[in-house]
Amino acid sequence: MNAAVSNTSYFKYWRACAAMGPIFLAAFILCWGVLGYNIPPIPADFTAEQMAQHFRTHANEVRAGMAGAMLFGILYLPWTLSITKVMEKIETDGNHIMSILQMWGGGVTVVPLVTSSVFWLAGSYRPEALDPVILQLLYDMGWLLIDMFYAITTVAMVALGVCGLADKREKALFPRWMCWYTIWAGLSFLFELLMPFFKSGMFARQGWLNFWVEFIVWFAYILLTTYYVFKAIPRLEQERAAELSLVEQTGKLGAKPLQGNPEGRLANA
Amino acid sequence: MTDGSQGAPAQGAPSVSAPGILTFIIADVTIFGVLFVAFMVERSHQVPLFNQSSSSLDVRLGLLNTLVLMTSGLFVVLAVLAAGQGRASVTRQWLLASFVVGAGFGINKLIEYGDKFAHGINLLTNDFFMFYFVLTGVHFVHFLAGMVVLALLWFRTRGEAVDGPLFGWIESGALYWHMVDLLWIVIFPMLYLLGSR
Repeated sequence: MNAAVSNTSYFKYWRACAAMGPIFLAAFILCWGVLGYNIPPIPADFTAEQMAQHFRTHANEVRAGMAGAMLFGILYLPWTLSITKVMEKIETDGNHIMSILQMWGGGVTVVPLVTSSVFWLAGSYRPEALDPVILQLLYDMGWLLIDMFYAITTVAMVALGVCGLADKREKALFPRWMCWYTIWAGLSFLFELLMPFFKSGMFARQGWLNFWVEFIVWFAYILLTTYYVFKAIPRLEQERAAELSLVEQTGKLGAKPLQGNPEGRLANA
Repeated sequence: MTDGSQGAPAQGAPSVSAPGILTFIIADVTIFGVLFVAFMVERSHQVPLFNQSSSSLDVRLGLLNTLVLMTSGLFVVLAVLAAGQGRASVTRQWLLASFVVGAGFGINKLIEYGDKFAHGINLLTNDFFMFYFVLTGVHFVHFLAGMVVLALLWFRTRGEAVDGPLFGWIESGALYWHMVDLLWIVIFPMLYLLGSR
């Protein structure tokens, strides 16, 4: 523990990063979903001509929406990092496997969010010059990428849940039920495996299960996690303040652990 | 919601708090419930097709699988009871028995899937078989996860007190395994019996 670093400095960017989650969500829904005509998706059983009509009619909205989605999609990264920092305070034995997995899983989630937007952007770039089948292919590729790359997000969600369940605090930083929810939500994305086989019905990209349920489950995860990260930060500040005070009193590391701090969190702070 | 999976009960005392895994179970059962409703709605639009397709399923295999899962579930209950009494070796025996009996479900299901594929029946054959493969397939994934949980619990009970912190995990694993039972108890009559004869 670096006692020279004050709590203010230590936790300086944590809240700002955590706030990026809801900002990402609001901006992504507006840009990717509303302007980009992805909420709900254009049905997979639309003909190429219908798809071409869509791109040619709404080119400017889709361009603006996808440009915004590519900008704000990046915010998923700092938001992920805020979760990682809290998780590191749960993995106090120096084994940060789950924290790192969560960071990579959440960080790499930015890739499908941003790159899938490129396909829709490409479709809207010069739609009058492209064949309807090409436009249909671009729209399909966007959806196949964002839906079928779900497993990387699942890694982050399951890692968060597993780590949270291992929290030995009397009152865990992330409630057990929330940890189980994140594990379930991450695994529920497995339904997307069925998406390439269907152009209509509940498993198609516009289907009530593979679109409405899965995206609402993901959005709820973002809001829920942000709420508990914000609740965890002041508690961690208090824990560290107590440890700083102890270090000040004893003047050395490895002092008797604080009550409720049986893992010797002092050494890892 | 609090969690019984962390707080160790007193020696032999049952956990009084609902394990956090109930969140997982409630969410999972809800999704299955919605799928069941979707099946019934779709069935109401295509009754002859669903009846005809259902009649091609082997009811005996389905019934056997129901008995296998219920027996395996009973053994898990006995494991939890033994764990609550601190009897580690008995707990391990029941967990092993539950695993071995439960494995029969997997073997049966693979035989059944193999038969369907051999007859050219798959997910896209018709709407009935879409539901058949999705419902039984997703259930099968849950079953496999349950088998892994049983195996992990069996290994962990080798060197750890079963009425300590591990008790919550045994209880949570048992609840999950019962969910696998429960889902099958709905899936079996819905797919195999409803209008099939």
